[in-house]
Amino acid sequence: MLSHRPFLVEGLTALGLVAAPFILPHLGFAPNTVDQILVWGLFGIGFDILYGYTGLLSFGQSAFYGTGGFVAAYLLTNNLMSSVMLALVIGTIGAAIAGIAVGIVALRRTGIYFAMITVAIAEMFFFLENNPLSAWTGGENGLPGVPTPRFTLGHFSYHVGTGVSMYAFMAVFYFIGIVLALRIVRSPVGAIFSAIRDNPQRARAVGHAVGFYKLTAFVIAAAYAGFAGGLLGVLQGFMPPDAFTFDTSGQLVMQTAIGGGGTLFGPLLGATVWLYLRDFLQTTFHLGAAWKLVLGLVFVLLVCFLRRGLIGGLRDLAGLVAARRQPAIADTGPATDAGAALASVGPSRRRQEQPFSGPVLEARGITKSFGGIIANRNIDFAVEQGELRGIIGPNGAGKSTFFKMLTCEMAPSSGRIIFHGRDITGMNVDAVCQLGLTKSYQVNQLFARLTLRENIVIAALAERRGRFSLDLLRRIDRVPGLDMQVESTLALVGLGGRADVPVARLAYGEKRRLEIALALAASPSLLLLDEPLAGMSPQERAETVQLLKNIRRGRTLVVVEHDMDAVFELAERITVLHEGALLAEGTPGEIQRNSLVQEAYLGGVAAA
Amino acid sequence: MQSDITVRTTRRSMLKAGGTLIAAAALPRFARAANEPPLGTWPAGSSGSSVFIGITVPLTGTYADSGEDELKGYKLAVEHLNSGDPVIKMISPKTTKGVLGKEVKYGVADSEAKPNSAVQAQSRFIADNKAILMTGSTSSAVAVALNKLAQREKVLYVAGVSGSNDTTGKDCVRYGFRQSFYGQTAAAAIGPLLLKQFGKNKKAAYLTPDYTYGHTVQKSVEDYLAKNGGWTTATNQVAPLGAPDYSSYLLNVANSGADFLLNINWGHDAVLSTQQAEQFGIFNKMKLIIPYQTPFIAKQVGPKITAGVYAATDFWWTLEDRYPVAKAFVAAFQKAYGYKPEWGANNAYMQFAMWADACEHAGTFYPPAVIKAYEAGRHIDSTVGEVYWRAADHQLVRPVIIVRGKAPSAMKTPDDYWEVLEVVPGAPLMQAPDAFGCHLGEYT
Amino acid sequence: MITWPNFVSQLFNGLASGALLALISSGLTIIYGTLGVLNLAHGAMFMLGGYAGYVAYHATGSFTIAVIVGAAFLIVVGGLLELVVVRHFYSRPPEDQLLVTFGIGIVIVELVRLGFGSLSKTVLPPSWAMGVTPMGFLIYPTYRIVVTVIAAAALAVLYLVLYRTRLGMIVRAGIEDSGMVGMLGINVYRVFMVVFGIGAMAAGFAGIINAPVVSLTPDMGDSILVETFVVVVIGGVGSFPGAILGGLISGEILSLTSMIDPAYSEVMLFAVMTLVLMLRPQGLLGMPSRE
Repeated sequence: MLSHRPFLVEGLTALGLVAAPFILPHLGFAPNTVDQILVWGLFGIGFDILYGYTGLLSFGQSAFYGTGGFVAAYLLTNNLMSSVMLALVIGTIGAAIAGIAVGIVALRRTGIYFAMITVAIAEMFFFLENNPLSAWTGGENGLPGVPTPRFTLGHFSYHVGTGVSMYAFMAVFYFIGIVLALRIVRSPVGAIFSAIRDNPQRARAVGHAVGFYKLTAFVIAAAYAGFAGGLLGVLQGFMPPDAFTFDTSGQLVMQTAIGGGGTLFGPLLGATVWLYLRDFLQTTFHLGAAWKLVLGLVFVLLVCFLRRGLIGGLRDLAGLVAARRQPAIADTGPATDAGAALASVGPSRRRQEQPFSGPVLEARGITKSFGGIIANRNIDFAVEQGELRGIIGPNGAGKSTFFKMLTCEMAPSSGRIIFHGRDITGMNVDAVCQLGLTKSYQVNQLFARLTLRENIVIAALAERRGRFSLDLLRRIDRVPGLDMQVESTLALVGLGGRADVPVARLAYGEKRRLEIALALAASPSLLLLDEPLAGMSPQERAETVQLLKNIRRGRTLVVVEHDMDAVFELAERITVLHEGALLAEGTPGEIQRNSLVQEAYLGGVAAA
Repeated sequence: MQSDITVRTTRRSMLKAGGTLIAAAALPRFARAANEPPLGTWPAGSSGSSVFIGITVPLTGTYADSGEDELKGYKLAVEHLNSGDPVIKMISPKTTKGVLGKEVKYGVADSEAKPNSAVQAQSRFIADNKAILMTGSTSSAVAVALNKLAQREKVLYVAGVSGSNDTTGKDCVRYGFRQSFYGQTAAAAIGPLLLKQFGKNKKAAYLTPDYTYGHTVQKSVEDYLAKNGGWTTATNQVAPLGAPDYSSYLLNVANSGADFLLNINWGHDAVLSTQQAEQFGIFNKMKLIIPYQTPFIAKQVGPKITAGVYAATDFWWTLEDRYPVAKAFVAAFQKAYGYKPEWGANNAYMQFAMWADACEHAGTFYPPAVIKAYEAGRHIDSTVGEVYWRAADHQLVRPVIIVRGKAPSAMKTPDDYWEVLEVVPGAPLMQAPDAFGCHLGEYT
Repeated sequence: MITWPNFVSQLFNGLASGALLALISSGLTIIYGTLGVLNLAHGAMFMLGGYAGYVAYHATGSFTIAVIVGAAFLIVVGGLLELVVVRHFYSRPPEDQLLVTFGIGIVIVELVRLGFGSLSKTVLPPSWAMGVTPMGFLIYPTYRIVVTVIAAAALAVLYLVLYRTRLGMIVRAGIEDSGMVGMLGINVYRVFMVVFGIGAMAAGFAGIINAPVVSLTPDMGDSILVETFVVVVIGGVGSFPGAILGGLISGEILSLTSMIDPAYSEVMLFAVMTLVLMLRPQGLLGMPSRE
């Protein structure tokens, strides 16, 4: 995500593209095959941003490949414009617009559902192309006669023909495509894409408008597909209708999986393997129709045994070698003096615009029922500025439901929730987070494939950039104040020394601290902590209690916790829930003496 | 090598023959080099001891069955060319061994019946193997795409199966040639027979595949029957390529009150839709007519259904009783593959044979010279009698064969599905060369 | 061409093709509901069922035996597929499951092509079900009526299995909450294997009984797969009643719209699916929380 050698990849790509026409023919690649690979590779870059980076597996990319290709080919073959470049751009825009429309429908669901919907919609495009729109698309004949580009500079005019000049034409666009894509994945938006892939729920909880970012990735993929489709028409002098078929989408998915998703170059490598084997199996082995069987088997085996494709496999191998050389860095433990850190991870500036007196958070008569079963009944609740509030209650008291309603993860059946004097009932989690209210989870909700630092960057980005921002080409390290905020959060939770370790390799206690750090990095003015001590060893517990003491300065905290000792040690006031309703509220001393509370707990114990 | 000697002897014999065209084509090589600049894969593709043909047929996908059939015809033709078999010499009398003394090699690639895959594969054959001839299609979409590729790459293309009017109509090219019959000639051939047989003012239902071939054939037939016989169209059911089920289309047909069902579907679609029509009892109410016959349809749906059905086709093997070339070809095919060839294989064989003939007459592989040899309009002895190429649109002027299905009891052999009713001469069936908007384009 | 007789015919035809679609889709949805795996090789299962029936039919000459053998074969294939491949994918992201089943689908199709060639294979209906049945002004192929009845009966059996047996209880519990089943002390893996087998069998069974209606080609499952997606998306992924409702709706859409212009039938189907998604993203009978 944060590349320290900015132009290395770009340089190597350029070198590779220049060298390819000299090397590949010796390995048995036909020039036309190489051009085809570049088209698939470019098509795949967008798809990889969608699938490899954002985690959205679409089986319907053919819709945009076809749309872009046919719009461009239509303009060119009907002499509506003579500039190939302009037609390609308009085709790309057409595909992007189609991407917005399809994305709005398909992105309503995720995972498998999303995949199915994309298949069905792409199939609809195919049928539309084939019949109702055949007057424009040529139906199953496609559009023959797409001209090759001609560039005119003053008196000098250059016509791209076949052979080397066509390769150069394709290679230039592949290069531009990859450079743009690298910029995108290294931008804040790219980082958020990865976060959505790993944990969309958490990405939303730290304040990102996940839906818009998904749509962004979808449209980027559609635009790449559209441009590649246009290039296909130019390359073949003919826009084939099979661009729209399910096979096209399937082949793209398979090529990306073979090469390795989340790498940008995976689709290119996958296309190379695919097209090379297809030709090789047919011409050298004379396998006839069985070529597809062999490729199918290769694909299944790769998916089974090499989870991240060929590039991923190589990378894992390199990682193994590197890990053996590198000594582990010791855990430094949480910072005891967090004064300096606090200065920058304090509640964010923009949230203190209007001075406000009265409770920071207020719940007025909230009730939640699930089809007749009432989980929370008419609860009134208020937290004052700077307070550290504990919420306790026996199992099944409705604490989790209550907490979910406070952070707007769940809407109450009735009642209102007021934050800083503003009614936030029914708002999105990300919008609420942007107002300064966030939560750490009982079960860790981390971005599993990112490093510790990257995790915190994701959370800090939401605070720095707002819910949604399209700074696709901005380098992530150019986001003002981001670095400082990340570093100070790391220092605060005492994980500075482990910043570049992938989350998967952290110890449980470290993950717990990261969980809290994620919430902290969003600079909330009100932080809700859901069982921060769950599952900790005594030492980890002590450290975390200390951490909580550190972070409460300048913040309002609400803690749900089973660990009574900790709650009574930390909280100024305690709210007790029992059977979905408010049982008692008061200082730790008052609660300890409260007979109703004792009874509820004893009763709970007796019942269990 | 042996081929060198062959070339020399061929030249000598050509000069002896003394025809003006031949003499012009057989000018000494150095003289020709000046006005024959490199073009497409010429001369690189024919400078060695062999020449290469790129064949793309569907080996997977909906049309895979037709693809396999075509491929057999191509392979047999290449074998015959390289061995100088007497069968091929009946069509291309100048053939000795190979073509212009060079061995013919070929590569086969799976087109998956997709224009895109076919174009990709042929581009590869051109680049890698310096192919001097391309062939293969089982759908007009592929044929049209390869037509355009041929014209752009300046490499000859002889179409496989392609029934659309457009292939030698609005999408015709200087570098493309079609042997087979097509929508227009099919309609004009079967139309009069239908009117004669069934009378005027009938109602017809059509099952049409949703692509150019289907639309043009349907329109050609419908227009002919309406204009000349006052037939009306009860319904035209347009179904997508590879439809898994025809039930709703067939119910519309069944309830249309038509007297005849004209099934224009092709390949597996034709088989499936015909079988299902029979399941729906449609043939109790209306007669089936097949304006453009699919190879092996009778074998697949069974002779019970095709009994009494009128169909227009390109070739049927019992033509061996009329034409010696057909007899020789059918015998050779039967020997090689164990069954009687149908028209996909015949088309493939004829295309190669006639290409060889054109090359031998041109005396060179230089594409414009070969094209001019095609365009010379020489009469060629074929499996369907004497034929010739029409210079204006590169369509072979050839008869359309009208057949009628035999009842199972009337079949003399297991392959004896059809009875040839009429061999309708081709020239009167054809539209004016420019009627479908054909502009052939440049030689170079 | 809208006339009363044609409308009634198409209505009935929609029911007939809908029943078959429902049967195939129910297999897809049961597997998904229980295992959380969307089997992209489901179309191949449908095709494989047809070929298995074809082989058995030619070996024995009995259509009934062909159906039984074919169904048994598919339950084994499904079970093996779960055991050998799919089982190792439960802990992996759902996208990987899509990839691997997609690949398996291709391999199966190409294997069948290798074994049987591309020329279509015909299976004749049993002699007692040949011919047509006149039903008022609607004439319908007898065998298609038989297929519809068998498909409906198969759905009824599936319903009984799902709602009246212990296995069904476990499966439905799994659909509600897959974590719970494990806690009940049930050998989850064995259940999964059986469920995958049953799901594959539903498709394969549909493939066999439908074989006399269509002729068999290796690619026949491809278009069916996409249609079953539409069915389950309309009905609600993971919902057995949803698969039936979705199947019938899809069948009727394809059939009825063909009266106006058959070229738009498929487009209409996808348009209705999009509409359902806009108004009720979880499908008509789907549960909102299920992703």
